[in-house]
Amino acid sequence: MKRYELLKELAKLVTDQDLVVTSIGGVKPEWYSLMPGNGTMFADLLGCATPFSLGVALNLPHRRVVALDTDGGMLFNLGALCTVGKESPPNLTIIVFDNERYEGVVGGPPTHTSGRADLERMASAAGIPCTATAKTIENFVQSAATMMSDNKTGLMVAKIEPGVFKDIPPERAKESDGIEDKYRFLRHIEQLEKISIRPRYVRE
Amino acid sequence: MEPRLAALVIEGLKRARVRFVVGLPDSMLAGVYVAAGKDPDIKYVAVTNEAEGASVAAGAWITGGRSVLVMENSGLRAACEALSRLGLVNGIPVTMLMGYRGDLGERFHWGVNHGMTMEPILKALRIPYWIIDHEEQIIPALSRAVIHGISSLYHTAVIFRTPLVDEGK
Repeated sequence: MKRYELLKELAKLVTDQDLVVTSIGGVKPEWYSLMPGNGTMFADLLGCATPFSLGVALNLPHRRVVALDTDGGMLFNLGALCTVGKESPPNLTIIVFDNERYEGVVGGPPTHTSGRADLERMASAAGIPCTATAKTIENFVQSAATMMSDNKTGLMVAKIEPGVFKDIPPERAKESDGIEDKYRFLRHIEQLEKISIRPRYVRE
Repeated sequence: MEPRLAALVIEGLKRARVRFVVGLPDSMLAGVYVAAGKDPDIKYVAVTNEAEGASVAAGAWITGGRSVLVMENSGLRAACEALSRLGLVNGIPVTMLMGYRGDLGERFHWGVNHGMTMEPILKALRIPYWIIDHEEQIIPALSRAVIHGISSLYHTAVIFRTPLVDEGK
């Protein structure tokens, strides 16, 4: 399975009322090319996507939240699985794209999931109620649809081939930096929730 | 921290409209974790390390939930990379509350190094901080730290020094 093919399927399930948090890596430009709206926070920190999305999901319990994490990101911060398991917000779905390597590093050295480490079993043991591993596109679509609608915290590991989609058209290429990403997401939340997060003057 | 002072911290957080508290328990601010966990108006999230805590707090903050991260000051070292990226790359603030372990007079040998590194790290990360040691400072310090986080879009910290915190035995 290629990640881009899975993201195309996921984009059909995500609405403009949902919020998405991505990890660093190839998932960022690929997801942006498919969903260039402001409903995604493109995180810039390894190990951040899952705990960041947990904060989003707990603070906005009425809104569906999807985290697009990676094997490298998850391994960087495994304790977050236990925190997600303890809190278990029903509106959170975590998808871990597992290519079993640090693809952004020269030579793509292997991560521990290329050996015996099994992130789905870890997630289940951490108390996350709904877990799955997808090895086909059909499995992926079915599990994603279920997890995004079953009112339980879900974590799916999607076993993917290495590789980043190279044919993103220039008009769909992500050019923004972390500051612009932050403002776009923040202002989107302000409009969506009809709240003020960062006013010009902080009254109290 | 004795319950009366911990209650003041909670009151200060509420006055600053903070309803989301993330924490990794330590002895100095022990009363705060307990009070936050029991308060029905506060969502308290216990995390497994301070870097994770910074990310959880940031996720809540950017969706409109004013948040703080409560931790030992050694957690600053554990959270350095997360704070650097969230602050310097994204401009998403995390307001931190921590006890001054390793302050002059520290009785535990293992705590001395926390004090040696805390302020240099705060300065290296350009994080404004306020070291307080009188209870009258608690509420205004929390309010100013939270407000400054919003206006600057950068991290802030309030450091609680003895006699506000228990040094332990």
